Amino acid sequence: MRLGFTHLRTLSITAVAPPLAIAFGLALAAAHLNPHVAAAADAISRVAVEVDRLLSREAAPVPALPANVLPANALPANALPANVLPANALPANASGAVVDDETFLRRVSLDLIGQPPTPEETTLFTLDTAPDKRAVVVDRLLADRRFGENWGRYWRDVIFYRRTEDRALAGSELCATYLAEQLNANVRWDRIATALVTAEGSVQENGATALFFAHRGEPEAVVAEATRIFNGIQISCAQCHDHPTDRWKRDEFHRMAAFFPRVAVRPNPMSGPLDLIVVATDIDPRFGARMPAMRVRGTLEHHMPDLKDPQAKGTLMQPVFFVTGQSVPVGTQDAMRRTTFATELTRRENPWFARALVNRLWAELVGEGFYEPIDDMGPDRQCSAPETLDRLSAAFVDSEHDVKQLFRIVTRTAAYQRPSRSRRGPDDAPFTANVATRLRGDQLFNQLAGLLGIVEPPAGAAPGPGGNNPAAALRRGPRFLFNQVFGYDPSNPREEEVGSVPQALVLMNSPLINAAISSRRGILASLLARIPQDDDLTMELYLRTLGREPNAAELAACRDLIKEVGDRGEAYEDILWSLINSTEFLHRK
Amino acid sequence: MSPSPPEPVFPRRDFLRAIPATGLAWGLGGLTGWTRVMAAGADELRRRNKACILLWMQGGPSQFETWSPKPEHENGGGTKAIDSAVPGIQLSENLPRLAATMRDLCLIRSVSSKEGSHPRATFLLHTGYLPVPTVKHPTLGALVAKELGDPEADLPGFVRIGRNRGSDGGGLLGVEYDPFLMTDPARLPENTALATTAPRYERRLRLLDKMDDQFAQQGARKEVADHRKLYGKAARLVTSPRMEAFDVNREPASVRDAYGRGEFANGCLLARRLVEAGVPCVEVGLGNWDTHEGNFDRSRQLCGQMDGPAAQLIADLKQRGLLDSTLVIWMGEFGRTPRVNPRVGRDHFPRAFSVALAGGGIRGGQVIGATDPSGSEVADRPVGVADLFRTFCHSLGLSADKENMSGIGRPIRVVDGGETIREAFAG
Repeated sequence: MRLGFTHLRTLSITAVAPPLAIAFGLALAAAHLNPHVAAAADAISRVAVEVDRLLSREAAPVPALPANVLPANALPANALPANVLPANALPANASGAVVDDETFLRRVSLDLIGQPPTPEETTLFTLDTAPDKRAVVVDRLLADRRFGENWGRYWRDVIFYRRTEDRALAGSELCATYLAEQLNANVRWDRIATALVTAEGSVQENGATALFFAHRGEPEAVVAEATRIFNGIQISCAQCHDHPTDRWKRDEFHRMAAFFPRVAVRPNPMSGPLDLIVVATDIDPRFGARMPAMRVRGTLEHHMPDLKDPQAKGTLMQPVFFVTGQSVPVGTQDAMRRTTFATELTRRENPWFARALVNRLWAELVGEGFYEPIDDMGPDRQCSAPETLDRLSAAFVDSEHDVKQLFRIVTRTAAYQRPSRSRRGPDDAPFTANVATRLRGDQLFNQLAGLLGIVEPPAGAAPGPGGNNPAAALRRGPRFLFNQVFGYDPSNPREEEVGSVPQALVLMNSPLINAAISSRRGILASLLARIPQDDDLTMELYLRTLGREPNAAELAACRDLIKEVGDRGEAYEDILWSLINSTEFLHRK
Repeated sequence: MSPSPPEPVFPRRDFLRAIPATGLAWGLGGLTGWTRVMAAGADELRRRNKACILLWMQGGPSQFETWSPKPEHENGGGTKAIDSAVPGIQLSENLPRLAATMRDLCLIRSVSSKEGSHPRATFLLHTGYLPVPTVKHPTLGALVAKELGDPEADLPGFVRIGRNRGSDGGGLLGVEYDPFLMTDPARLPENTALATTAPRYERRLRLLDKMDDQFAQQGARKEVADHRKLYGKAARLVTSPRMEAFDVNREPASVRDAYGRGEFANGCLLARRLVEAGVPCVEVGLGNWDTHEGNFDRSRQLCGQMDGPAAQLIADLKQRGLLDSTLVIWMGEFGRTPRVNPRVGRDHFPRAFSVALAGGGIRGGQVIGATDPSGSEVADRPVGVADLFRTFCHSLGLSADKENMSGIGRPIRVVDGGETIREAFAG
C-alpha cells in the first residue's frame, strides 16, 4: 500500500501522461462489458482452477488453493490499492500465496512480451482496484505486437541453436519475423507446425523454410528436430542403434526419416548461388548447378545405412509415422509425404503434439516442466504430474490449438502466480513456487534498451560491410551482438544457464553500459535534475530496473552510499551500475 | 586405446594458485609477484604440465602449397619444393622457416574426411564429430580446459585468438568451457579494463553485494550464489596480476621482432605467454585460406604471414623448455583440390590433406602417410579425424574413452572410434 502511493510523488514529477491512465481504464471497462469475453474468461478460470486442484493432489503436498483465493475474484472491488492479498485470504502455507502485483506485472510482461513494464505501468497496475486486473493485463499483453516478436525470437532460438549448418543463420531473423506474424495473428499451433514441415521456396523470402535451411535438408536431422520440437520426443539416439531404454528402434527412426528424402536445399536457379531454395526433388534434378558442401540433389527414397558397411546403399525404408503407425508407400511424391507427416505430427490422436507445447510453455512460465528436459518426453520418461498435464493438453486440443488461450490458462493458475523461489532440490515437491529464471538474451536486451535508451537501427537501414543484405545488417546490430554473448538455447535445462564470465564483463566493464549510466548525460542526468529527493530517485531507479520499489534496507544502503561518496551524481552512477549488475535484474522472478 | 603414461600431478596451475595473491580480492597492484615466482618455480613447472596450442588455418589451406608439394606433377601447379632440415623431407618453397624447424615437426600427409562444407568441417576438425542437432559436442579446447585446467584459476582455460568465432564451444561440458574470445592479440581482451578506479569498483561491488543479499532473502539463494561465483571469477580475472600475460607489449623488442609484427605473429607470441602463465589451451586463427581464386599468390602471401611466427613459436617453446609439454597442432578444416581450376584456384578437398604436429611428446623429423603422385588419393597410412583426436588425447594425457553426459543423459565419448597414431610419438 505504501508502495503505490509513495511512487505517486515521483510519478507526478516524471509527469505520466493522463491519456495512458484513461486508455488503461477504458481497456478494463471494455473487457468487463463484453459478455463473450466474460464467458470465455469463466472457461479459462474453470480450467485454471481444475489444473491447480489436480496439481496439488499430484505434485505439491500443500492444500489446494480454494478458488476464491485467486486474484480474479479474491479482491473486493472497493479494496484499497494493494499489492498483496489481504492476509486472511492466504492459506497458512506460504507456498500457497499469490505474488504481489509489482512482481506479477514484471513477471508476466517479461514472459509475454519480453519486456519489463514501465514505472508508470507498474504504478497504475498496483493502484488499479479491478478484481480481474491480472487477467485483463494478460489480454492486453497478448494483443501487443511485442508478444509475437518475443515468442517469434524464442522459437527462432529453439530452431537455430540446434542448427547443423551455420550459413542458415542468415535466415534466422526472417524466421523470427515470420513466426511473430503467425503468433500475433494467433494462427493455430497445428497450422504453424504444418507450415514449418511442408515449407517450400526461397530461404530469403519464406521464413517457414527455417527447419530445412538450419539442417540443409538432411532428412535425419530434420525429422529428429521436427519430432523434438513439435512432439517433445527425442528419437535421434535411434539413428545409430536401438536405444537400450527407449522403445524407439533404429528402423522406426529411419522410417520417420523416409518422409523427407525428396526435399533438398539448393541454390536458387533464378537468382544465383547465394539464395537457396527448399524444393521437392521428385523428378530427376533439373538444376545442374552443384554447390559444393550443400545437399543439393535430394534422393528419391531414404535408405537406412548398413552399420557394418557404411559405403553400401543400405535398406530401403518405407515412410511410417512412429506414434500413429500411418504410412505412405515407397514412390510417393514429396508433397504427399510431407503433408502426411504434418497431419500425423499434429493430429488429435497423437497426444505428444499438445503435450509438447503445453509442457514447454508451462516450463517457461512456471519455471519447471512436467517433463525435464522439456523436449525429452515420451512414454518411457517420468512425468511429475501426468493428470495435470493431460488436463491442460485436453484444454489446448479443445481450443483447437489456440496458443494465446493456453497462455491465458497457465497465467491464471495459482501455480503461475505464486512467489518464486530457487529451483527445488530433487527431493522437494514440485510446483510449490514459481521458479526464477535467467532472462534470455532478447529479454535482457529489451530491458537494457528500455532503461538506457539504446536505439536499435531498423533492419537493413545502414548498409556497411556485407552490403545491403538485411540479414547482414541485422547481424551487425546491437541486438545480434548482444545475443552472441547473452543468448542461450531455450531448450537446455534452465538450471544450467548460470551466465558466463564474458557476460559479467560486458555488464561490469563495457564502455556501452558505462557511458549509458553516466550522470552527465542520458537518463541518469535527466532524473538527477528532475528528482531532488534522494529516496524518490532511488525508488525511481528501482522501479526502472527491477520493476519494484526498494525496501527499507535497500533505501538505507543507498542513503549510506550517497553519504559515503559525497557527490550525488557519482553515487547514483554506482547505484545504477549495481542495479544493472544485480542478480535480480538478470532474472525474471 | 591403452591409457597414456601417468602424469605427475603437481601442476604449475596448482602452484600458481598457491601463490599468495598480492592484492587479490578486489584490490589491484602487486604486479611484480608473478614474474618473481614464475622465474623461481619455472624449471620444475615447465617439465610437468601439458598444454595445447592449435594453429587454426580457417578456409582450408592447400596441402600442395604447404606441407605436401608435388613439383613433379601437373597438379603441383608449379609450386617448388625445398629441402628441409631433415634429409629426404621436402616442403613447399613457401615455408622456409618451418622447413628449417623440421626436426621438431611431424607431418601427416594422409588425413582424410568426407566433409567439404566450411562450417561443418570446421566443427568436425574442432570436435571430432559432425554437427548434430541433439548433442552439442565440445570443442578440443574445451575438453583440454576441463581436463587440464584449474577451475579456480583466474585466467580462462581456453583462449581463442583471431576473427573466427566458430560455432563450437563448451557444448555439453557447459558454458564455462566456451572459448574466451580475443579478436586482436595486440590489445587486452574486451571489457577487461576497469571502467572506474579500483576503490570505486570495490565500492560498487560492495553495494551490489547488499542488493543481492535482499534478493537471496526473497528465496533466490541459488541464483545469487551462482551470480556471486561468476562475478567473483570475472572480478578475479580483471584484477589479476596475471592479466599481464595478455599483454604482448611487455615482451622485449627482440622477442617481438623474432616472431614478426603481424596479427598472427602477435597471436603466436600471446599463445606462448598464456601457456607460460598456465592457460591449458590456446587457439590462434589465421583466415582466408579459401583460395578458389588466385590460389598460388594467396597461399604464398598467407604462408608469409604464418611461416615465421609458427616456426618461432616452436623454437621459443623449445628454448624455454615448454615444447615437450606443449602440443602444437597446425590444421585447417580440409585441403584443396589437386586440379587447378580455370580461375587459378583450388576448391574444397577433404579426401587427402595434411596436418602438422610438434611438441607434446611427438617425435619430430618424420612424415606419416602419403598421397599418390597426383595428390588425389591417400596412398599410404590413411588417417581419419578420430585418429587425429586420439593422438591429441594421447599427447595431452586425456582419456579418449572418457564419457561425458549429454543434456538428455546420453553418454558421449571424448573420441568416437579411431586409433592413436603410435608412430607419431617418440619411444
